[in-house]
Formats: sequence, C-alpha cells, structure tokens
Amino acid sequence: MNPETRRVAVLGGNRIPFARSDTKYAHATNQDMLTAALDGLVDRFGLAGERLGEVAGGAVLKHSHDRDLTRESVLSTRLAPETPAYDVQQACGTGLETAILVANKIALGQIDVGIACGADTTSDAPIELNEELRATLLEANRQRSTSGKLKTLARFRPGHVVPRIPRNEEPRTGLSMGEHTAVMATEWDLGRAEQDELAVASHKNLTTAYERGFFTDLITPYLGLERDGNLRPDSSLEKLAKLKPVFGGPEGTMTAANSTPLSDGASAVLLASEEWAKEHDLPVLAWFSEAQTAAIDHVHKREGLLMAPAYAMPRMLDRAGLTLQDFDYYEIHEAFAAQVLCTLKAWEDEAFCKEKLGREAPLGAIDRAKLNVNGGSLAAAHPFAATGGRIVAGLAKQLHEDGKGRGVISICAAGGQGVVAILEGPEGATR
Amino acid sequence: MPIETRKLTSAPSILPLYARAAAPLVPGASLLPFVPGGGGEIPEVRLELDGVRADPDAVAAYARVCGFALRDHLPPTYPHVLAFPLHMALMSDGSFPFGAVGLVHVANRITQHRRLGIGEELALRVQATKLAPHPKGRTFNVVTEVRVGRQIAWESTSTFLRRGKGDPSAASGEAFPTVPEETPASAEWRLGGDLGRRYASVSGDRNPIHMHALTAKPLGFPAAIAHGMWTKARALAALEPRLPDAFAVDVRFRRPILLPARVEFASADDGDEIDFTVRGRGEKRSSRHLDGRVKAKTGKAK
Repeated sequence: MNPETRRVAVLGGNRIPFARSDTKYAHATNQDMLTAALDGLVDRFGLAGERLGEVAGGAVLKHSHDRDLTRESVLSTRLAPETPAYDVQQACGTGLETAILVANKIALGQIDVGIACGADTTSDAPIELNEELRATLLEANRQRSTSGKLKTLARFRPGHVVPRIPRNEEPRTGLSMGEHTAVMATEWDLGRAEQDELAVASHKNLTTAYERGFFTDLITPYLGLERDGNLRPDSSLEKLAKLKPVFGGPEGTMTAANSTPLSDGASAVLLASEEWAKEHDLPVLAWFSEAQTAAIDHVHKREGLLMAPAYAMPRMLDRAGLTLQDFDYYEIHEAFAAQVLCTLKAWEDEAFCKEKLGREAPLGAIDRAKLNVNGGSLAAAHPFAATGGRIVAGLAKQLHEDGKGRGVISICAAGGQGVVAILEGPEGATR
Repeated sequence: MPIETRKLTSAPSILPLYARAAAPLVPGASLLPFVPGGGGEIPEVRLELDGVRADPDAVAAYARVCGFALRDHLPPTYPHVLAFPLHMALMSDGSFPFGAVGLVHVANRITQHRRLGIGEELALRVQATKLAPHPKGRTFNVVTEVRVGRQIAWESTSTFLRRGKGDPSAASGEAFPTVPEETPASAEWRLGGDLGRRYASVSGDRNPIHMHALTAKPLGFPAAIAHGMWTKARALAALEPRLPDAFAVDVRFRRPILLPARVEFASADDGDEIDFTVRGRGEKRSSRHLDGRVKAKTGKAK
C-alpha cells in the first residue's frame, strides 16, 4: 500500500436551488434532483464521457425502491456508465461524509477524481405500508397452502390501510429534533433575540452573496427556481419577533424562522488529486485538508442531541495542530439557530470544555463576522443530505476568491452525530 | 392558393375534437359541413399558437410515465404533446378529407436543434402536407415547428396512413435501418394493461384504440395498443444519457403493441448514429414494433 498520502483538491460544485417542501420540486424525486445536480456539474466541468474514480452520494429520507440511488443517478447522466457509485447515509452528516470518503480515497491514491453528492426531498417522502399489514402480507406469503394464505389474510383489518408516515423523531427518545434542540436551548440559556439575529444574518448574507453573483457557477436553475425558495431578502428582527414558538412550549424560543424548514434539493462537489486537476486544466479552489466525525450518547448520558460537533472539533484541531481561532471562515450548519449558538457557547464554556471535552482551557470564542458569510441553512434551507455539498462548494469558492486562508465546516446530525472538516485556500492557509 | 393561417389564442380543448374526429365513423355523417370526411385534398391551413409554456407538473407526470428523468429541459418528445391539440384541431376540421380516428401513425421524425428549457416560451406552428400515394392507401404528413423567438428550436413530422385503395407502384418509403435480430436486447419492458390510459392522461391522446380492449375492438384491434409516441418516448428515455443536445430521431411504427405486453429494447451505437428497436421477446424477436435512428446534429441551429 502506498505509504504517502496526497493533497485533495476541491475543484468546484453544483447544486440546484433549494425549494421549500411541496413547492417547485413537489413532483421531483431524489433521483431526479440528484441527476440534475450531477448534470450541471458534468456540464460545468466537461465531464461527459469521463470515467471517474467514484461517486458517493446519499439521501436521508429514502424510498425502499431507491436502492442504489447514486448509481442509478449516475446512469442517468452523461458520465461514463463505467463510473462506480455507492450510497451513504449518516443523517444530516451524509453530504459532508461523502466528501470525506471520496477525499480519503484520493489521498490514498486509490482514485484520482470523484464526486460527493446528496439529495433529499420531503415533498416526495416515502410513506410505508402499515407495519401490521406488511407483517400480514409477508406471513401470507410464507404459508404454503391456499387455505393458510386465506386464513392469514383474514387477519386484515380496515385500520391496516392507514400508512406509516415517517416522522422527524429520534427512534430512541421519541422526541423530534426540534424538541431535542429546545432542551439544548434551555440548558444553554439561549434567548429568542440571539437566535433571530442569527436567522436575519443568514438571510442577509445569502442575499448579498446572490447579489454579487457568488452562486453563478455554483447553482444551476431547476424547474423554474433560480434562487433558493426559502430566501427572504426582507427578513428583519421585527418581523421575526412576531412569530410564535414552534418548539419548547409557549415559553420556547425556537420559531419557524430560526429553525430550518422542510425542503427539497440536491448538491454535488468535484474532488480530485492535484495531478488530475492539472491534467484537466482545472483550477484548485481549495484543499480538503482535515475531517473528523464524532458521536455523543444522547440516550443514557442525556447529552444534547445535536452537540456532537462540539466534540468532533477539538479532536480535529488537536490533530491538525490548530486552535479554534485559526480560521478565516466558520461554516456552521444552521439546522436551528439554537444548535449553532449552543455549540459556540459550549466552546466558550470552561466547565463544558473541562468536564466534557477534558481540556484545561476552553476553545474560546470565534469572530462572529466570519460565521456563515455567504448565508447558511436558515436562509438557503436544508435538504438534509444536500447541505454538506452546498457548504463544501461555497467555502471552497470563497477561499479561492481570497487565494489564501482557512475555513472550517461543522455539521450536526440526528442520532447524536457530528461531522467537521477543514478546507484551505489554493495557495495555502496563511493569509 | 396561398396557405391560410389561423392564429389561435389558446390550445384547443381535445375531448370535443375527438367527437368530431370520430364522427366520420358514423355512416353518412361526413355529408355534414362541420364533420371531416368526404375525401378530397388536404386543406392548406396552418395553425399557430404563441406564448406556450410547458406546465412543470404536467412535464413531471409525462416524464414519469415515459421513463425520463425530470430535468430542467423538456423531454425531446414533449413538444409533440404540446402540439397535439393543434394536430387534432387540424384533422377534425370540417374541411379535412377524413376523420383522425382510424388513421394509422406510421412514422415520426423529430429534430431537436437545441434543448428546450421547461420555462421557455414557445410558439407552435402546425400544418399538414398534401396526400401522397402509398401501396396501402394514401399518406400525409403533419408538420410541427416549435420556435423560440425567431429560431426554430424543434420540429417534427408525423406521417399518417389513410388505408384505402392503394397505388402498388408507389414506393412504400425508403429502406429504413433496423437493429439486426441477433443484437442482444439491452432491456426488457413490462407494459401494464393500463399503459394506454396512463399515457393518455399525460399526453391528451385519448384515441379509443389505446384506452381499453372494449374501445379498441370496434376499430379492429383485439386489445388496447400502446401509443406509438409513448414507445418512441420510452426508447429515447432509455437512450437519454447518450443523446446529444442537438439531434434528429426518426422512427417507423411497425406492429402495434397489444397491451399488456413484455417487449425487448435493443440498440446499436455507431458514434454519430444510434439505431434502436422495440421488438417481441425471445422467439418473437422478428416481430418489430418500432425501428428508430438517432443522428447527432452538428452545426448551427436554423
């Protein structure tokens, strides 16, 4: 095995604008959207007919008939059909995890180029057969005699036609992600105003980024949508203050505006070795330099469900020999404004850093002006597996605009997991 | 005689047109001035409809039935669906020499000069050509143009056969390429008994021969048959990732597919050209339902 590892380049990305659930993409499937995102990437980088090392992709809400979603999507594009692909599923960490997987194979020299991608739809969500009906049908199928089959089928009850609709809840706690985050918000004593401020900043930054043409080579319009459907350029603290809380009861601080809405979308990122980029005459936007995944015990140790990135970050920083302040950009996925704020508070908190992270000193505060500078999930919305690709491509482009610098990505995921990664500018990290 | 141009302000509604299209089947009805029939020549009429935009939800439903991915551009066969009400209006006009129901769709050629975006504003032009002799009757073409601005972006020619006294000396058409029987199939399709109704609901083509065995039998088919344009669309969906942006695709409709059915799809790629066929399975391979050829178009759009 090759003992040397190689630098991994982010060459660019493409996504479709994200749509709010049941709007423009109501009739698009995950495969349609993933295909559209890949199509745009293939067109932009002239990949038609190319056999890539691999395409890793995924979706969080997946139909049982979407077996090998990524492979089937690849076969719908103009990529060489000889390009292998596989599905990944790690809740909202899926998108960033696919980038880590592809990057690691490139670093090891197993492949030279690959695509990391993801899609999610809450409009075309899977609805399952009623569990009892499913069990009855399977049991009838196991019966050999016709009378046995009929006897089993006689167990059918009218109530069995009521399908099972997937709920956004943690299997082991029964609480929704919003409810879990409301608990975190209370624990960390978050106010309503700071959450709303983060939401307003997200819309403002995303609007500015659109206005300066930042997304021209990152987004391909789809089905009549040219910008993210959730974006509210006129969002303001006054407007947001009027909203009623949706999580945490009547005294709660979390609203529909400082939580991400259900949405549909897809994204894709092109990663390659330095040599491949050179051979194809493609500029390096950024280097994918570090990554870390962590998980916490939200069930028995009652850790905050979405606090895993707080643990992943110091482990990655220690390995990289960096401090939390060594970054020019912080891309913290805004699943909820509360998640971002709890994470930042935890890193500043002496007790948390000492007791939970086992560190002598807290990681410290970050310069908030460097946070989600081109908008975050609160404004763009969050089609689960598509968020990682949106962030990687956006941060890489920002670093390329600057030439130098360093950015960090942090994404929380259901099941008490978190994924973090570091990108460095094409000419290095130091500014 | 100059061509009469009729500008329409909205797409004609299809169902009443079907009544008129089928009316000539009633003996003597063709004597009425508003019922097509009575033989004679094809009127020189051109129908125009501007400001047409595809409805994305309708495109999604069409894509699902035909097997296309839902992309930001229209499936290459979709403009045919947009123009279909105009075809019906043309062929069910009182001045048309015969009713549309009962005509046999024998060929269709589509040229896509460039991809059409789902949201693009399109202008449709439809007109029929003069009758031509055929060994089994007479044929005519319905020619459709789709313009974006002043450019022709898409065009199609559908050839229909009116069965009747033929002219044995008429050429039955040039030799058309076909995929050799020994070429292995790349896919097997299982077509449900409801396929005609499903395609009818997304295309508007509710010709009774496609809807149900009971409505197909009086018109001479033992079962409902698949729409030729569905078969063409399904074949193009199978080839979709290999289709260039600009291409022409010509097909000949052979034996009808009696539904439900299991058929084979086979194709042979020769760089610039892809030949394809939809045929029977296994021993029925020699029974072909459709032959087609895709040819890449290079150079500038018209």
